[in-house]
Amino acid sequence: MPDIRTLLILIPALPLAASLTTALLGPRLLRTRSHLPAVAAIALSFLASVLLVFQVQRAIDQPAAPAAEHRAGQGRAAQPIGFERVYTLWSWAQVDQAMPWPDQNAADTYQPASWGNFRIDIALRVDPLTAAMLVIVTCISTLVAVYSIGYMHDDPGYWRFFSYISLFVFSMTMLVASSNFVLLYVFWELVGLCSYLLIGFWFEKPAAAAAGKKAFLVNRIGDFGFALGVFLLWTTYGTLDFHDTWIHFHHTWIQTSIGVLGQTRLAHPEMFASGGLATAIALLLMLGACGKSAQFPLHVWLPDAMEGPTPVSALIHAATMVTAGVYMVARCMPLFAASQTALVVVGTLGGITALLGAITAITQTDLKRILAYSTISHLGYMFVGLSVGTLAGVVAGMFHLMTHAFFKSLLFLGAGSVMHAMGGVIDTRQFGGLRRRMPITHWTFLIGCLAMAGVFPFAGFWSKDAILLALHQRASLGGGAAVYQGLYLSVMLGVVLLAVYTFRAFFLTFYGPERIPPEAGHHAHESPITMTGPLMLLACGAFGLGAYFEWTHGFEHFLAATPSLAYLGQRAAEPAGEAGAHWGVAVLSTVMVVIGLAIAAVLYLGSREQARRLARLMNVFGLYSLSYGKFFFDEIYQALIIAPLVGLARLCAWFDQWLIDGLVDAGGALPKWLGGGFRPAQNGLVQFYALAMVLGLLVLMGALVF
Amino acid sequence: MNFSDLLHSAMHDLLAPGASLSAFRPELTLCATILVILLAKMALPRWTTSAFWLTLLGIAAALWFAYPWSWASDAIPPAHSIFTGVLVSDSFSVFLRLLLLLFAILFTTFTQVSGVASQDDMTEFYVLMLGALVGMCLMISANHILMVAMGVELASVPCYVLAGTQRQQPRSSEASLKYAVFGAGAAGIMLYGLSLLVGVLGTAHLPTMSTRLAMLIQSGGGLDRGLVLVLGGLMLMVGVGFKLSAFPFHFWAPDVFEGATAEVAAFLSIASKAAALGLLVRLALGFSFHPDPAMLAVLAPVRHYIVVLVGMLAVVTCTFGNLAAYGQNNMKRLLAYSTIAHAGYMMMPVAAAVALVGVDMGEARAAVASLCVYLAIYLFMNLAAFAIVAFLRNELGSEDLREYAGMVRRSPGLTVCMAVVMFSLLGLPPLSGFVAKWFIFLSLISAKLWIVLAIGALNTLLSLFYYLRVVKVMTLSAEPLHRPAPTIPLVSMAGSYCMVLTVPVVLLFFFAGGLLNWARAAASTLLY
Repeated sequence: MPDIRTLLILIPALPLAASLTTALLGPRLLRTRSHLPAVAAIALSFLASVLLVFQVQRAIDQPAAPAAEHRAGQGRAAQPIGFERVYTLWSWAQVDQAMPWPDQNAADTYQPASWGNFRIDIALRVDPLTAAMLVIVTCISTLVAVYSIGYMHDDPGYWRFFSYISLFVFSMTMLVASSNFVLLYVFWELVGLCSYLLIGFWFEKPAAAAAGKKAFLVNRIGDFGFALGVFLLWTTYGTLDFHDTWIHFHHTWIQTSIGVLGQTRLAHPEMFASGGLATAIALLLMLGACGKSAQFPLHVWLPDAMEGPTPVSALIHAATMVTAGVYMVARCMPLFAASQTALVVVGTLGGITALLGAITAITQTDLKRILAYSTISHLGYMFVGLSVGTLAGVVAGMFHLMTHAFFKSLLFLGAGSVMHAMGGVIDTRQFGGLRRRMPITHWTFLIGCLAMAGVFPFAGFWSKDAILLALHQRASLGGGAAVYQGLYLSVMLGVVLLAVYTFRAFFLTFYGPERIPPEAGHHAHESPITMTGPLMLLACGAFGLGAYFEWTHGFEHFLAATPSLAYLGQRAAEPAGEAGAHWGVAVLSTVMVVIGLAIAAVLYLGSREQARRLARLMNVFGLYSLSYGKFFFDEIYQALIIAPLVGLARLCAWFDQWLIDGLVDAGGALPKWLGGGFRPAQNGLVQFYALAMVLGLLVLMGALVF
Repeated sequence: MNFSDLLHSAMHDLLAPGASLSAFRPELTLCATILVILLAKMALPRWTTSAFWLTLLGIAAALWFAYPWSWASDAIPPAHSIFTGVLVSDSFSVFLRLLLLLFAILFTTFTQVSGVASQDDMTEFYVLMLGALVGMCLMISANHILMVAMGVELASVPCYVLAGTQRQQPRSSEASLKYAVFGAGAAGIMLYGLSLLVGVLGTAHLPTMSTRLAMLIQSGGGLDRGLVLVLGGLMLMVGVGFKLSAFPFHFWAPDVFEGATAEVAAFLSIASKAAALGLLVRLALGFSFHPDPAMLAVLAPVRHYIVVLVGMLAVVTCTFGNLAAYGQNNMKRLLAYSTIAHAGYMMMPVAAAVALVGVDMGEARAAVASLCVYLAIYLFMNLAAFAIVAFLRNELGSEDLREYAGMVRRSPGLTVCMAVVMFSLLGLPPLSGFVAKWFIFLSLISAKLWIVLAIGALNTLLSLFYYLRVVKVMTLSAEPLHRPAPTIPLVSMAGSYCMVLTVPVVLLFFFAGGLLNWARAAASTLLY
């Protein structure tokens, strides 16, 4: 079995190699075989990730390595908690003493010798959180890549698609395996770039090009906050590494730097910044997460991103990239836990987003957009889970991330299968009753819907339940209990909405009289095996994964060995999970789901006349329009931000064109005019040249003598 | 001292290890090559490419002798005069000779790649080139007025003929004749000035002349002699200014460059100019420096005179060159004015060095080093520019800028080379032209020549427009319909030759340190 280092390097290296190979050989040599390198590399990456999890689990089970024990005796770090390994490949940048140690804390003995050495290593770091993310990412990627073989065939950009997808998998795996904030930022941007390229994959469609641009620009706002957060981290902690750095010198281990999330700092919580500084850092990082994970108020790009190919929507805009923000917040949880204010803000944003997404999803007619708003809503749930700030909360958030990755990619790929059969039409008003024509898609989609709505015993039930339970427990403690109580109630309410819109979409697509749009032609049939195969595998995951991990507690125990999360577990003694509360929450949420399901069935399974009547009734207060118009965020941003900016840009353009260009043109014209004055002198007559020489000599002599 | 002692000391001066003959081996090798080429032409008239290979071999051998092998292991040897004081051998002459020989190798290859040296007059072409090269080597190591005059003539006369190598074209002959007439005039004025200087000071040996000059100033001199010296110096400057194509002695340059082939223009604009700058440094420092501190202080008015003269000429030349380059459509004329402007830039550090003599000798040497850096970078930039013009002339039959329109579509590689060269001539980072200007401006700052600095910086801005116009025409303009498609791929003799020249233009920015070390070494033995 390969060791951790080899596996960790292989996981991103294989997709990178595939991406380059496809980019170089795709257009001429591979053409319709362009999927081969990508699928092979991503599948091998998945295999390596699974092996990595087993290796990590084995390392956790074993007692701490002798070297670590030795180090623990030397430094201030207590016995290391959790499991982490860092493998430095090479040093990218190093500036010694880039920042002086602030004087007022000169007495602080925690300052290591290398404080303020700006050193960025290309280093891979693995801990259980990373390993879990790697498996989720590569697993979904593999299935989506296989699905894409069928979905994308005949597309002129076939090789381009697989090159981009491999590049994305490389970037995403590097993002979760990076060992410092700069690398995290670099790959954060790189997945953003892949997202941009893939949203605008059919760039000849104006809507796709515009959607790519919108995603990129909205993400810039978030990334700006993230960058500021990284700067603030640097000035606060004097390093950007997650981990402590040790060097072996004269047979002893010497600590050269204390990482932002390193063992030393985790063992000494007072070394984390506190107060306003902690809040500022956490909120700036959260701004970045808001952009990437489409949270209110930066959620507007995700629905438009559905212009990209459906496999991309499934992989990047549902299962993996959009969860990067969740991963980042989970990774930096000690920084967030240092500020209760920040946690409350994270929770509030998550709660608002969860409700907002759910309400909007109820009235949309575009199947992919319904799913997009549901993704926004579910990401909100994850943030709500993280905002609890306890080990249970973070594990619940990450658990939901995993189950969501399966059921949401399943639903998207199912929607893609429908779209494939319907000749590219995805508007639910134009088709219906497809359950007989597309039986496999119908059944897998049903499993996905049940999982997403959180019906017992499907995957979504367990993860949603874990979040609700964490909230419930947190609400029983002091310190912002009211906020968490409110969040608990709104998530409960959201569960009803969730069931309603999920099954509305399901009934609209697969039930009622059979309708097929003219675009479908004679191709309105079930999709090929390369597409239905991944659907069935994902359906298995969406069905059983939650229950499996709930009963074995495997996921929870595995994640708890992550140093930064183990710290949370150490810090606050968890209130003993009362079995009664557990069951109470579960039963309540199930009741809510059943209510929602019943509403959807009444409104959409039959004649749908009630649905139209209800819509009219709601519209008396403008509620229907509000939901259908997506709360008019696009219009508000257009009026408040884009229009003034365009005006400013026009002004600048005018200024540039008439004033700056005018000055530059004048600068160019003046010497030309002056030069023109000299041109008659160059008349080709040697006599004149000689005369000029003598005259010049006389002038020079005059100038020098007098 | 009897005759035998005299003979003995002369033999010793000539033959001892490290003495005259061994220091003069590169020049002797060049002279021998000339003879061998002429003899080979007689002995083997059928072997038509003999001249090219013999020239290359001869220059390579001269380069071998000229390369300072001992610098790596030992300290740089101090300056010493050879041939009883008419020439001086120091690190400055070693560096410039190395540069000239390196240029000669590149230039010989260039003539072969572009095919300018047509089969029948190939021999003459190379012989003339080598002869001029010997003259230039004398110019850069001149320590005696006779050598100054001889070097300038030896370097100039072959150039007059080279300018007229395209005998069938009237423009070429006209250029050659104009060059000769103008050159003769300038040489006459310079010789007159030299005789005035020698007459007043009573010697033609440069170091002795500076001693006499100091004594003359110390003794009060007299207005009449002072006036004669000022006039003599000015007339000497006419000769050097002619070789440098400094304003107002530049009039030959655009006409000659236009009439001669691009290859010859490259030779005139680089080798000839490098030698002239070497000579200018020799003369300027020779008259303004004296090892004795008391004498050095006395020479202050001479330094002031030289700084004003050279600085003024530099500023005027630079500004004029840049202004006149506007509106030129003939690429060779445009480049002619560009080289005039660059001559102006390169005269600036000479003024700075003279201004710093007696103030800070280290800084004065640094100023000369900045000139050396500029020359080395200028060699690649300008040769590449003329090479691209020559190759495009072979394809298009025209040197008109307007014919280059839309070149980027057919010959993208060559266009990129041209763009790199133009940006470098302009002096934008990250190209070596920036490094060159940077060091020159640094020397001006340390010499506190603020006016020269300001005008130099302003000139960089001025030159922006016409350099970028070349790039603009080649990339943005539409291709003319009537033109044959000029396709010069990078994988061809011409294309790879351009690459060989363009790559150093880029790399010397990133590895400027090595070049700077060489330049510092070159200047390290001056002013002792």
